[in-house]
Amino acid sequence: MKRRLSLFALLSVVLAIIVSPVVTHAKDIVVGTSVALTGKYARTGQEQLQGFQMWVDEVNARGGLLGQQVKLVHYDDESKPETGAKLYEKLITDDKVDLLIGPYSSDVTMAASTVAEKHNFPMVSSGASASEIWERGYKNTFGLYTLAELYMDEIIELGKAKGLRKIALIYENTAFPRAVASGVKTKAKQLGLDVVFEEEYGKASTDFSAMIIKIKAKKPDIVIGGSYLPDSVAFMRQAKENRLYAKIFAFAVGPGLPDFGQNLGLDAEGVMGNTQWEPTLKLPGAKEFSEKYKAKYGHEPGYHAGGGYGAGYVLEAAVKKASSTDRDKVRASLASLDIVTAFGRYKVDATGKQIGKPGYWVQWLSGERHVVLPAEVATAKVAYPFKDWGKR
Amino acid sequence: MELLEPDILLQLLIGGLLAGMLYALLACGLNLVFGVMRVINLAHAELMLVGAFGAYVLFTIFGLHPLVSLLLIVPVLFIAGYYLQSVLIERVVERPMLTSLLATYGLSIILINVGLLLFSADFKSVPVLQGSFLIGELTVSKPRVTAGVISLLLTVGVYLFLERSHLGKAIRAVSEHAQVAAICGIDVRKIRMLTFGMAAAMAGAAGVMLSVIYSFWPGSGIDFIQKCFAIIIIGGMGNFLGALYGGILLGVVEAFVGGFASTQWAEAVAYLLLVTVLLIRPTGLKGVARA
Repeated sequence: MKRRLSLFALLSVVLAIIVSPVVTHAKDIVVGTSVALTGKYARTGQEQLQGFQMWVDEVNARGGLLGQQVKLVHYDDESKPETGAKLYEKLITDDKVDLLIGPYSSDVTMAASTVAEKHNFPMVSSGASASEIWERGYKNTFGLYTLAELYMDEIIELGKAKGLRKIALIYENTAFPRAVASGVKTKAKQLGLDVVFEEEYGKASTDFSAMIIKIKAKKPDIVIGGSYLPDSVAFMRQAKENRLYAKIFAFAVGPGLPDFGQNLGLDAEGVMGNTQWEPTLKLPGAKEFSEKYKAKYGHEPGYHAGGGYGAGYVLEAAVKKASSTDRDKVRASLASLDIVTAFGRYKVDATGKQIGKPGYWVQWLSGERHVVLPAEVATAKVAYPFKDWGKR
Repeated sequence: MELLEPDILLQLLIGGLLAGMLYALLACGLNLVFGVMRVINLAHAELMLVGAFGAYVLFTIFGLHPLVSLLLIVPVLFIAGYYLQSVLIERVVERPMLTSLLATYGLSIILINVGLLLFSADFKSVPVLQGSFLIGELTVSKPRVTAGVISLLLTVGVYLFLERSHLGKAIRAVSEHAQVAAICGIDVRKIRMLTFGMAAAMAGAAGVMLSVIYSFWPGSGIDFIQKCFAIIIIGGMGNFLGALYGGILLGVVEAFVGGFASTQWAEAVAYLLLVTVLLIRPTGLKGVARA
């Protein structure tokens, strides 16, 4: 009986190994990433992953990378930096991945990049833009996004050109929104505008009414949010409820995503925001990517998806240039690469910080998202000023 | 300082009262269950989200206004709660506290994950009742005033039911002393089922009200359940009116702290208030708390 039991146990172990879902052929190139699939950054994280997945499919259809198939291992970091750090540790030590893609959000990237640095493992970081990430002397984090500090530059310039003076600035208390805010303050000072109201809020904040009542008392001309999607939507909704009015409303993350318009409907009208990328930009392969993405996932890609896709191409170019997945060689080629992908130009400085890619600005006009700044790539003219709630 | 102008103070007060009424509706249900069976229902906020997603589904598929779906969701959750009690909760009543905590925690995990499967982790909202109306200089948000007033009516309604009706008296009797109530001929098991049904219905109603104010996703419960814990401890564990007062108090204090300090501080208020009340009145505002 005992013998039969142990035989049974042995058989089940063998069976488990055979049907185990991790079918990694010795020759596969394994790319690891963690993105937020739950929690506050879920929507944007999921988009980034889907964009990246699309690159994986394409590269495999083209015969793989260095003649090998690419396999993606991904986890959900729950929008939490501490979970992200654990997962990158796992990707590097347990899963023994060959290449790394960064998580979504500057917050989680701060933690994940520390793990990558510890293992001296180069990581292509899509979805992070706070320059703080590249100010720690790390050698393994290579950014794709235009820096957060530049997110509101042209919005403030627009305000200046229209003769506006007073800015109300609100932002989440994590790395990226704080970087956006510090950029706003620098730019405002440079152009002679005043930040008349400034307040941070927590990652879990859903109620901004008390804040809005205070902002209202300051009568700002421009309201700028260093935000992510959920907070920008909640803020606009409550701005309407409290009849907060300003000539310009602009948010860091939010208006650049289709969800912003879906959630707010007509109340999104006139709201401006930053975008890293739009399907309408004249970039090689952007249009094709956008069409394929729409066919596969049922909606147009936003810039988070574009970033994931672009990260794949940057990684591919770096590996090809290095002709190997050797960490040192990939790191060297990521540092010196200067290419234009469907996501835009990739060129980093000595710290790995993105310096080649410009920023773009969108505005919601008649229920659609249009690029309005800079003028040379605009698909519509800026609508100014923001229409008062009572007159809509 | 412009913050001290009367209309700003009044504006903050109204916002706080309205938010507090919703908190109260949710917390009263939680406290009712605790009062009657000494079970802390960790899945209470998830039952609320069942209501919120119910309103979302009925709105997106059938175009039903949340105020109409309220009439459907409340009875459905009552029945669901009634049977949930007989199938699950009844088994952990009068057992060590940890047993019921684990059982309801498990239930909340199941509900969250079913929610994630059905609705993904995206934020949802029900875009009706938007905007506000003006009373003089005051702006009164339409969704908040609707949610606040309905929540208050429901809470007061349940309170009157508990105080005045025969069944309500039976519920209070079981809450006082289950054994004595049983000796007096009260079907304790039935009363518990009724109580849990009512609490689930209150949570569901709070969810429908929540859906017109905030965006939500299947994991939103945690923020609310934490506030509810603070509220019932502030108000007095097991005391229905205590939770009502505690909820409104929390809403108002949050609004004022948000106004005078910052929104970040407003999120910590529940716990600061909790510590303060425990220091001054360890049994909570309305006493009780014999476990």
